[in-house]
Amino acid sequence: MYPKEVEKILLKVQKPGKYTGGELNAVIKNKDEVDLRFAFCFPDTYEVGMSHLGMKILYSLFNSVPYIWCERVFAPWIDMEEQMLKHNIPLYALESGDALSEFDFIGFTLQYELSYTNVLNMLKMGNVPVLSKERTELKNIVVAGGACASNPEPLADFIDIFFIGEGEEVDLEVMELFRECRKNGESKQDFLIKASQIEGVYVPALYDVEYNEDGTIKAFTPKFGAPEKVHKRIVMDMDNAFFPESFVVPNVEIVHDRAVSEIFRGCIRGCRFCQAGFMNRPVREKSIDTISEQCYKLCKNTGYDEVSLTSLSSSDYSQIVPLLTKLNEWTNEEKISLSLPSLRVDGFTDDIMSKIKTVRKSGLTFAPEAGTQRLRDAINKNVHEDELLETCATAFNGGWTNIKLYFMTGLPTETDEDLEGIANLGQAVVNTFYRCENRAKGRGVNVTCSASPFIPKPFTPFQWEAQDDIDEIKRKQMVVKNAIKTKKITFNYHDAATTFLEGVFARGDRKLCAVMLKACEKGFHFDGWSDCFSIDKWLEIFDECGIEPTFYTSRKRSFDEILPWDFIDYGVNKSFLKSECLKAYESATTPNCREKCSACGAAKYKGGVCYEKCKNMV
Amino acid sequence: MKNVRIWFKKDKECRFISHLDLNRVMLRTVFRAKLPIWYTEGFNPHPFITFPLPLSLGVRGEAECMDVRFLDEDFDLSKVAEIMNPFLPDGIRVYDATECKMKPGDIAFAKFTAKIYSDAMSVDELKTQLCQLMKLDEYLVPKKTKSGIKDVNISEYLKLIEILPGCDALNISVTLPAGSANNVNVQLLIKALESYVASDVYYDITRLGVFNKEMKPFE
Repeated sequence: MYPKEVEKILLKVQKPGKYTGGELNAVIKNKDEVDLRFAFCFPDTYEVGMSHLGMKILYSLFNSVPYIWCERVFAPWIDMEEQMLKHNIPLYALESGDALSEFDFIGFTLQYELSYTNVLNMLKMGNVPVLSKERTELKNIVVAGGACASNPEPLADFIDIFFIGEGEEVDLEVMELFRECRKNGESKQDFLIKASQIEGVYVPALYDVEYNEDGTIKAFTPKFGAPEKVHKRIVMDMDNAFFPESFVVPNVEIVHDRAVSEIFRGCIRGCRFCQAGFMNRPVREKSIDTISEQCYKLCKNTGYDEVSLTSLSSSDYSQIVPLLTKLNEWTNEEKISLSLPSLRVDGFTDDIMSKIKTVRKSGLTFAPEAGTQRLRDAINKNVHEDELLETCATAFNGGWTNIKLYFMTGLPTETDEDLEGIANLGQAVVNTFYRCENRAKGRGVNVTCSASPFIPKPFTPFQWEAQDDIDEIKRKQMVVKNAIKTKKITFNYHDAATTFLEGVFARGDRKLCAVMLKACEKGFHFDGWSDCFSIDKWLEIFDECGIEPTFYTSRKRSFDEILPWDFIDYGVNKSFLKSECLKAYESATTPNCREKCSACGAAKYKGGVCYEKCKNMV
Repeated sequence: MKNVRIWFKKDKECRFISHLDLNRVMLRTVFRAKLPIWYTEGFNPHPFITFPLPLSLGVRGEAECMDVRFLDEDFDLSKVAEIMNPFLPDGIRVYDATECKMKPGDIAFAKFTAKIYSDAMSVDELKTQLCQLMKLDEYLVPKKTKSGIKDVNISEYLKLIEILPGCDALNISVTLPAGSANNVNVQLLIKALESYVASDVYYDITRLGVFNKEMKPFE
């Protein structure tokens, strides 16, 4: 449903189907029969947000509770935003068409730092005051979760409650508390103080931050009995965890237009640059039967003919071949194709290949991340060149001709030799193609090398490291580009300026809230899209606020500095991160969780991969 | 194998989805409803469906159709609507399935109604402006074609407009040439009015049906 006034502007914008709702499986309830209304906001376009699995899970979960009605809200694209402003139409939810300001909870999922301006812009468009302290009543509680909640501080002034870790349980507990507080006529402050006692909840208003003269943090102090450490929430039993039986099926095409099943959470690898790999420990798998049943139901209820088996590294599923065999039992007959994103170079075997291409042949992407063995060891990627080439040969002999390789530039300890290694590795893959006897005849090979500048992220061993500045990023991109000697390699690289801004917010502190507020006043949005992003305008704001952005990016921190996110516990000890960082300097690798436990701290959750061996022994 | 024409209405939220998106919705639906439909036998097998006359985005359709091939020639066509509807979004409702009596190439005309209104002027004013516009012997509007944007004279089609009674909006009805040979987009007429009055005009168009050259309803 959409508000009546929207009807007339829909034909003035591109793809109006994004703004109407009315999709199959959308949940419509009677608003007079529910106690609590939740607006699930994705701070990006419909096509991007509708592809997000976390939103699908929580949308179904919340709506499975009779007293909650959860609706979806996306950021309108700039043409629609312009029309809405012109006609005074507030941002509305797709199910009821009601404005954001009508909702009890307004929840954002924070997946990337460049969407922060959209968070504030969406509140503004929905007639909700952006500052937490200006929302004084017990309504319009703004909550946020997701990967970027790992460093909530740049949004501390705007968000009432952050959910740390996995949301399935904590979200419902907080909503139940809200319902109770409202029944008893309690104030917003009372509610927030009580909520802070729930594990996995961070209420930024209940903490004071003091700074040293050099701008680093001196003290981070809780008030009103809020906990000193906020511990993440985690779902240990994946087989019994909630998973939706149907998805809202969009009428217009979205980015990932297919059924998705999560086969496990976490990652055994411990690549030192990877935030997800540390935050989501330990690895917890779903059983083959659960996955097969969930995929079957999803296909039946959505009509999708493609299922994507997602995880951080799908070939690390402990029984990947039996899983695919089991799925093939019904997918072949039903003409459903399987896709396995996030395949590791060492995980792509003939056996897997034959099972995922039975119906349709998708592209292949691998991520060696660095150009030389020394640097791959330093980041603990643990992939060898001969493994990559062997895998590519398998793929070429199987008929593939397009391979994508992902790399990073600006990794700690990197030299120009490592950068040239990217081009050399690409060339080696091209050469491998021409050595394959069963390669697709009459077709050339295309190897795409993509290089993203490295951004150090919280809760990784590189959280103390300096990030390359804009000029250095550009120089390094040219080093790689100039080292490529063949047209069979396509080289893509990421914009240096957006990387810089992402780096500022990734490891920023509360002082950045002033910058965010100013950006919101000036109408910033869609920083992740080149249509809207302007580094000059951002630098202007930093200047006006008296903040030096390079303080957050170019500065190498000392191991004993208080980091803005130190109060959060994701299960991995800071001492472990430090030892991993020191090992990186020595280019020393760490075995993966299945080979050998390295005592990172995540075993305290008493399950998952940490206890796999024990289970096998019993 | 039997050619079958499936009839549906496209309305509510679903009138805002494009033809390509409608195609995807229908593919998913026939796939999921497990209708005994012939699949293409190429590299990516998919159900074979075609639309005799696609509908523009934003236009409501009262009697839209798509053609499929049924493998089971004895399949009870009266069941098709009840099989497909549970799997379709609310805005698309199948109401019939018939054998294909005419060829898509037989389509010659389409009949539309439209409600037109503007924030800047009253319905009466809008009506007066439209009457004046309909009297002109030449009125050029830019039309997107394969070779770029071209100005075309649409005065002969403007003259076909019939003004219907109504007070909340300017109601019109018009029957225009349609089909693969000569197709006139009804929105072109409204765009003409919009440029003639030089202010934003809002509209709500419905295609009532399509006809062959003898003005017999397409079946």
